[in-house]
Amino acid sequence: MSSLTVKSRQNHIDLPTLIAVLVLMVLSLGIVYSASAGWAMQKFGESNRLLNSHALKILVGIVALFAGVTIDYRKYRKLTKPVLLGAIGLLLVTLLLGGELKGATRWIQFAGFGFQPSEFAKFALLFHLCSLIAAKGEAIKDFKRGFLPMIIWIGLVSLLVLLQPNFSTGTMIVVVSLIILFVGRARLHHLFLAVMYMVPLLIAYVISAPYRLARIQSFLGTQWGSGRVNYQLWQGIIGFGNGGLLGLGPGESKQRDLFLPESYGDFVFSIVGEEYGFLGTMFFMTLFFLIMIRGFKIAKHAHEEFGRLLALGITCTVTVYALVNASVSLGILPTTGLPMPFVSYGGSSLVFSSFAVGALLNISAQTDLHPRSTRLPDGVLPVEPLQEQSPKVY
Amino acid sequence: MVFPDSVKSKPERGTHLPDQPSGRGFSGRVFTLKLFLMVSFLVVAGRLVEIQILHAPEYQSIAKKQYEQRFTLPAVRGNIYDRNGNVLASNTMYVSFAADPKIVADRDDAIAEKFSRIFGRPKLHYLAKFRGAEPSRRFIWLERRVSPEIARKVEAAKFEGVVVINEPKRLYHYDDLAGVLIGFTDIDSRGISGIELQHDSDLLGIAGAVTMQRDGLGRTRPSADYPYIAPVNGHHLVLTINLAYQAIVEEELKRGVALNKADGGLAIMLNPKTGEILALATSPAVNPNESATYGPGAAKNRIITDMFEPGSVFKIVTAGAAYDHDILSPGKRFNTEGGEYKIRLRSGGVRLIRDTHEHDVLTFQEGIELSSNIVMAKAVEQIGAERFYRQARDFGFGIPTGVDLPGEVRGRLKKPHEWSGTSLQAMAYGYEVAVTPLQIATAYAAIANNGVLMKPFVVARVVNERGDVISEQQPQKIRTVVSVKTARLLTQAFEGAVERGTALEVRLNGLRIAGKTGTAKRIVDGRYAPGSYTSSFVGYFPAEDPQIVCLVMMDNPRARGYYGGATSGPVFRAITQRVIHTSAKFSKPPDAEPRDRGIIAVPDVRNVRTVIASKILHGLQLSSQVFGEGDVVIRQSPPPGARVEKGDVVKLVLNNDIGTDRQGRMVVPDLRGMSMRRAMNRLVAEEFEVEFEGSGVVSRQLPRPGERVPPGTRIRVVCEPRGTAPAALY
Repeated sequence: MSSLTVKSRQNHIDLPTLIAVLVLMVLSLGIVYSASAGWAMQKFGESNRLLNSHALKILVGIVALFAGVTIDYRKYRKLTKPVLLGAIGLLLVTLLLGGELKGATRWIQFAGFGFQPSEFAKFALLFHLCSLIAAKGEAIKDFKRGFLPMIIWIGLVSLLVLLQPNFSTGTMIVVVSLIILFVGRARLHHLFLAVMYMVPLLIAYVISAPYRLARIQSFLGTQWGSGRVNYQLWQGIIGFGNGGLLGLGPGESKQRDLFLPESYGDFVFSIVGEEYGFLGTMFFMTLFFLIMIRGFKIAKHAHEEFGRLLALGITCTVTVYALVNASVSLGILPTTGLPMPFVSYGGSSLVFSSFAVGALLNISAQTDLHPRSTRLPDGVLPVEPLQEQSPKVY
Repeated sequence: MVFPDSVKSKPERGTHLPDQPSGRGFSGRVFTLKLFLMVSFLVVAGRLVEIQILHAPEYQSIAKKQYEQRFTLPAVRGNIYDRNGNVLASNTMYVSFAADPKIVADRDDAIAEKFSRIFGRPKLHYLAKFRGAEPSRRFIWLERRVSPEIARKVEAAKFEGVVVINEPKRLYHYDDLAGVLIGFTDIDSRGISGIELQHDSDLLGIAGAVTMQRDGLGRTRPSADYPYIAPVNGHHLVLTINLAYQAIVEEELKRGVALNKADGGLAIMLNPKTGEILALATSPAVNPNESATYGPGAAKNRIITDMFEPGSVFKIVTAGAAYDHDILSPGKRFNTEGGEYKIRLRSGGVRLIRDTHEHDVLTFQEGIELSSNIVMAKAVEQIGAERFYRQARDFGFGIPTGVDLPGEVRGRLKKPHEWSGTSLQAMAYGYEVAVTPLQIATAYAAIANNGVLMKPFVVARVVNERGDVISEQQPQKIRTVVSVKTARLLTQAFEGAVERGTALEVRLNGLRIAGKTGTAKRIVDGRYAPGSYTSSFVGYFPAEDPQIVCLVMMDNPRARGYYGGATSGPVFRAITQRVIHTSAKFSKPPDAEPRDRGIIAVPDVRNVRTVIASKILHGLQLSSQVFGEGDVVIRQSPPPGARVEKGDVVKLVLNNDIGTDRQGRMVVPDLRGMSMRRAMNRLVAEEFEVEFEGSGVVSRQLPRPGERVPPGTRIRVVCEPRGTAPAALY
């Protein structure tokens, strides 16, 4: 794979991660086609309508991934703030002008494509937080100087997303951000304090919309009571069970259109379970597990704080999304609409996640995880001394 | 599965990372995070094991139930044919609409609107169905049994959640013709009265089933996991009914009921030799196609379900017993006491028996002909209770006839020990006994059949879909009621009743008819209804070789008196006159020439009303072409029995076009091939003079057929011995 080298560092990128992501993308073509064909046939009169759209998005995703691979991640450090401000601007525009989908304004039109700024903002915030932590160093332990500004960024972005209203993405932004702060050595009691403030806010938010409350109640009811599972979740679980060990085979899902409407989106994992069985679901989970393990390894080998945090942040975003999506499909977590990265139908998540993984791969190429043996013998440190003194950023 | 190589921070190949500030805390927290994520993966994996492996069978069966649906494949109910293969009842496909409220959701308003516009019911009618349904219901009927043309309008609209179901509906081809005999079916095509009920199990068939799987596109296809059970269609029934006779009987009965201003009437026609019911009618008639419009009692076949006190028609028992035991001879003379006969009872009271005719002396036969109650009362004293009772039993009174129709009652014949002082005399002329019309008809049929009582029946054959005979009803002798000699004496007396007795209204030139009138007080709810009579005439013809027995009864006739001879007699006469002209030759049983092969025998529609004639022809998929004016078919071409292909045209000549032309001349009928008797009947009916030569079948005639001659012209008919077996009259 000599072609997949990064010029700035000349080392190889982490191949297992790339392969895992590409495999997920390729498999998603089949899954999305199977899950959407019936619906697309009904709606558009052609069964591969959504498949074509999804394939195009995957192509764009691959382009974004390689863009991420190519760009030296360190260049982001100085860009994160304006980019995040841009993302916040887009969120504001979305709130004011966005297109409605099922009662939420999550979309804006951009060059003929609709996309979800929240997906963009999610990564913009992540990058910026990494940049901030890397810049502040030990200062993060100081509440006013270090912790509070970050909390404000997090609060601002998540608030704008929650107002759409997009509960799941908003919550996930908070969760991933807190993870970054956690590994970024924020003081635990600061984090605890932040969570303590957020919990009542979240509860108020949940209660403010009856459907959210109902979902939570339904979840609690089934998990710890005798209540009835909500219809879609129940049908999703039947899908898993119906697949059994080996699955019904590609394209054989019975559940998808009859009982699991729009399963190509957030309930795509159930289709995986039904068509490919336990082996299939475990294979998908293994790929995400692989991405997690490699991501942590890349982070460990990153040469400086920003790369390390960014690698962890990206890895966690992808992994946590996959875990939450699977958990929701399996009834472990309350029903909420989160895509399974690289698998679910949906362009914004795919493209931004791909770019982020590209950035992760760029980080990997700047470590000596996969040194080019022709250039550097083992044990030789290929890096220049790092500049830890970066400009002041907020 | 890829496992983390470890969390112990094993030295990696070529890595010498400079420790970051406070790296310990960092790696400690990363480790915590990694651990948390790994546990999460384990939880997900555990849940997958639980659902996909441990509980998979349960979920699989739940899923299966969800996307598999068992459909019943209805068996097609068998058809009902008359004896000549005319379809009386078959099925047609109707379209029903149902909806799944869950799928319809909030489009119910639009659907109700559309249905309201197409079917003309208020919109609320449909909305109530949607909104009144329990939330769990996934199936509600919107409209049932809609004709396919109207149904198409709905289908054009294509509503999601509205299901279209094809449902068979019973179709009675001749509406009220034989309606009470055939009976009704309910909305699920189950028989609820008449033959439909009696032979429900034959007609029903066995429903099949198929399990359908729904695929992702909502299409259904048969599941391979379950066998396809093909439905077994119901058997067809071939009745003994003759559609042409049935039409005649119904029309004449209806006319008679109207003329006599009767409450109602009934008539039954039997073949005395076999017990076959040829026609069975009640008035007012019922139309099974509109079964929903009738009350619960309408479908009752009063010929077997209602009892009445027979009156003089019951004198058959007295006369039969007297002749059969050689107690009396036809010439035995009786003093009729001037029309009033007092019987002293042991209790000291007196019972007065009256005759409507004032005679001093009558022979026994005259007593029958003139229907003298006094003669019968005196005669029965010589017969005795035991012999009289046994004779009545032998005729079948007080016993169900065993006809293959539902709801038959046995009547009421008291045993001698139940009798009062004058019971014997009263029963001698038909009182203190309750009988069904069918029992009367079969009793007279026994006399017509040389004293042998046959079991009446109406279903000749049960035939499966391919035409194989499943079961066939053979004529069944019940018992010999009287000797041949007795039967002959009785026929002689009954003929006398028509020729010079109480039934002069029945007389018909050229045909020997034997019969008996009867007039009796009606029993309504077990009591005599004052001023209300049942007037009947029962007879058979030709008396020398009876082919047909027919009973006509009127309930409470008010226009022309209440005597059986004056009310039911003319109806019998009209029926007889038309039937002998319809004397079709049924060369072969209908199923011997399967209707599906395209070649069929032309039915005899002569002397049938034009409307019925074309219906009969259309039922056989023949076209009809009418010549002339009038309402009765007098001639047809091709002739009855000719073999034609389906779709061929049968030309019908109507009554006003034949008989006389403008100059008042008659058209000579074609007699060739007819038996002498038939030729005679025909010519006499058209009032020609007749001259016969030879015997057997008509071979030549002069003037020739179709010639126009003055009325009353003498026709010479030359007959030759027939080469083939004699054709039955019907």
